[in-house]
Amino acid sequence: MEFSNSCSSFSSSSVDSTKPSPSESSVNLSLSLTFPSTSPQREARQDWPPIKSRLRDTLKGRRGDDTSLFVKVYMEGVPIGRKLDLCAFSGYESLLENLYHMFDTLIICGKRDRKHHVLTYEDKDGDWMMVGDIPWDMFLETVRRLKITRPERY
Amino acid sequence: MALRLPSKVLKHILSFIDSNEDRNSVSLVCKSWFETERKTRKRVFVGNCYAVTPAAVARRFPEMRSLTLKGKPHFADYNLVPDGWGGYACPWIEAMAAKSPSLEEIRLKRMVVTDECLERIAASFKDFKVLVLTSCEGFSTDGIAAIASTCRNLRVLELRECIVEDLGGDWLSYFPETSTSLVSLDFSCLDSEVKISDLERLVSRSPNLKSLKLNPAVTLDGLVSILRRAPQLTELGTGSFAAELKPEAFTKLSKAFSNCKQLQSLSGLWDVLPEYLPALYSVCPGLTSLNLSYATVRMPDLVELLRRCSKLQKLWVMDLIEDKGLEAVASYCKELRELRVFPSEPDLDATNIPVTEQGLVYVSKGCRKLESVLYFCVQFTNAALITIARKRPNLKCFRLCVIEPFAPDYKTNEPLDKGFKAIAEGCKDLRRLSVSGLLSDKAFKYIGKHAKKVRMLSIAFAGDSDLMLHHLLSGCQSLKKLEIRDCPFGDTALLENAAKLETMRSLWMSSCFVSFGACKLLSQKMPRLNVEVIDEHPPKTRPESSPVERIYIYRTVAGPRMDTPEFVWTLHKNPEIGVSKLAIK
Repeated sequence: MEFSNSCSSFSSSSVDSTKPSPSESSVNLSLSLTFPSTSPQREARQDWPPIKSRLRDTLKGRRGDDTSLFVKVYMEGVPIGRKLDLCAFSGYESLLENLYHMFDTLIICGKRDRKHHVLTYEDKDGDWMMVGDIPWDMFLETVRRLKITRPERY
Repeated sequence: MALRLPSKVLKHILSFIDSNEDRNSVSLVCKSWFETERKTRKRVFVGNCYAVTPAAVARRFPEMRSLTLKGKPHFADYNLVPDGWGGYACPWIEAMAAKSPSLEEIRLKRMVVTDECLERIAASFKDFKVLVLTSCEGFSTDGIAAIASTCRNLRVLELRECIVEDLGGDWLSYFPETSTSLVSLDFSCLDSEVKISDLERLVSRSPNLKSLKLNPAVTLDGLVSILRRAPQLTELGTGSFAAELKPEAFTKLSKAFSNCKQLQSLSGLWDVLPEYLPALYSVCPGLTSLNLSYATVRMPDLVELLRRCSKLQKLWVMDLIEDKGLEAVASYCKELRELRVFPSEPDLDATNIPVTEQGLVYVSKGCRKLESVLYFCVQFTNAALITIARKRPNLKCFRLCVIEPFAPDYKTNEPLDKGFKAIAEGCKDLRRLSVSGLLSDKAFKYIGKHAKKVRMLSIAFAGDSDLMLHHLLSGCQSLKKLEIRDCPFGDTALLENAAKLETMRSLWMSSCFVSFGACKLLSQKMPRLNVEVIDEHPPKTRPESSPVERIYIYRTVAGPRMDTPEFVWTLHKNPEIGVSKLAIK
């Protein structure tokens, strides 16, 4: 069964009180098994079946599942981080683009710049590095978490 | 002339009433009873941290010694609530630090707790005894160290399934040498290794220690050394159970366990090798609770273990137990009250089916005291549900998760309506219900009509139309929490039953067909509800008819909350002002 959660495929308006009959419902209903995620190709869901993260991670770890790599992204000055699956991106460009949407601000890689937010990461050894200095694959193996530094103000 | 109970007498009577439900009823009798009750309530429970302000709670209960708070909605456990939604503990801790310095116990569930918050707790409550954090996040091991080092009379420190920024195992060394009051310690969710010598010393100087749950980094050797120092434990969570198999290791382990004659509850057992299970045999006859949900042990080894657990009341296990294993449980574990069977392969397209409906039927038939079930499997039948309902009318909690969405009765291809009807009708004391599989509106008509005592209901991928929601909201008399995902409704039902929402704690709906217009209307109509629209990627413009991603509605006397992130829309936010900043202190 294929479903998609877009308004356009739901024919009647949402305040209409007509109820589709059971036989129609399986055709007209637009229920999503893929909600807006960072990558449409990903198979594994994070929210179904309803098991807690700890169990889900343990099971994935056992299977040697490398189809996802969740890291926390912190914006400097904000204690609460957001979770991001790095495997969903093809490289630094798509990562930066996603961060731009997530934090609603332009973020750059590379040399620290007084005017912009700069993306840094903590590696396996606990050191903070500039994102973008090593090939993407190597980055995925060593990254532990990300931090977006604030632009310097006078 | 009306007789008045002197307040001293009333106070004395109330000292026998512990249940908050009863105390809430007492409060409603008259003003003087309200006053006497509020001045004597010691244990305060707030089911939704946004339903009431911290200041109001502190003011009402001046003798508060224990505070329990819940933050995020339940579906946050399954990643349905975006990070940064809310549920901050700090405002509560600040208020209590100022008004209730005699607070001794704090229990938080699904809340954001920072290190500053933990430091404040440590600094503000002189006789602090109990800290239990369940499914919380936002803090690091530094915060834990602050609690350990400062709270001299700490009895309970439990981190249950929290997401902790792990800066290393040093926190354990912060318990001062003079600290001897520990009764319960749970650090099973931490990753870093703690110094085993620190742990040994702590355990040795804590004669009252009854419950200890280690993290996976603690080795078998470490476990043996701890057990030798704490044979009085009643609850144990082991560390990693995988190690090189040496004969001496096995003997040492066996001996250590056999000395723990009071052990009643066992958990942990990560990666347990089946060859080590016999080391547990000596404690099995005394066990009342066994959590094997992280143990990839298979059927024959499992049965060898379980057939020795004749007193078992609570069993959490993976579906690797198979129907046959559950049949054995049904015959050996006659005291079983609670069963949870988790999926070992959580993929949607799993073809390997270790358990079927038959497993649950065996247990329902054999275990007369069974009252709580959480069962994951790939498909089910109406016949099985009918049998379960008939055999176990005493069920209080029934959560069935048929992993395949919309899966019908696989034998008859019908919806599971009849089966859940039997459950709703037959299990008259049912308080919690989760339904799944193919379900039409009819199923919900039965549930609405018969499930009189159900307080919490969870629904996914079900129903045909708004009628479904209407049946539930107009029917279920005791409904307090309703959570729904991926169901095809429901502006109409929501607006028609708006009044019902004030009698409930909360309603969650995600990936349903609720329009933005309906959310606005509901908000305007019902000022005593907070209506939150949560869209992870909020659109630039919102037409009235556009469906919202998630809606979370809860009753509140605290008014609109001021700490919403930019992706939460409420009626009270003025969109022209701009994004509302995350307010965290």
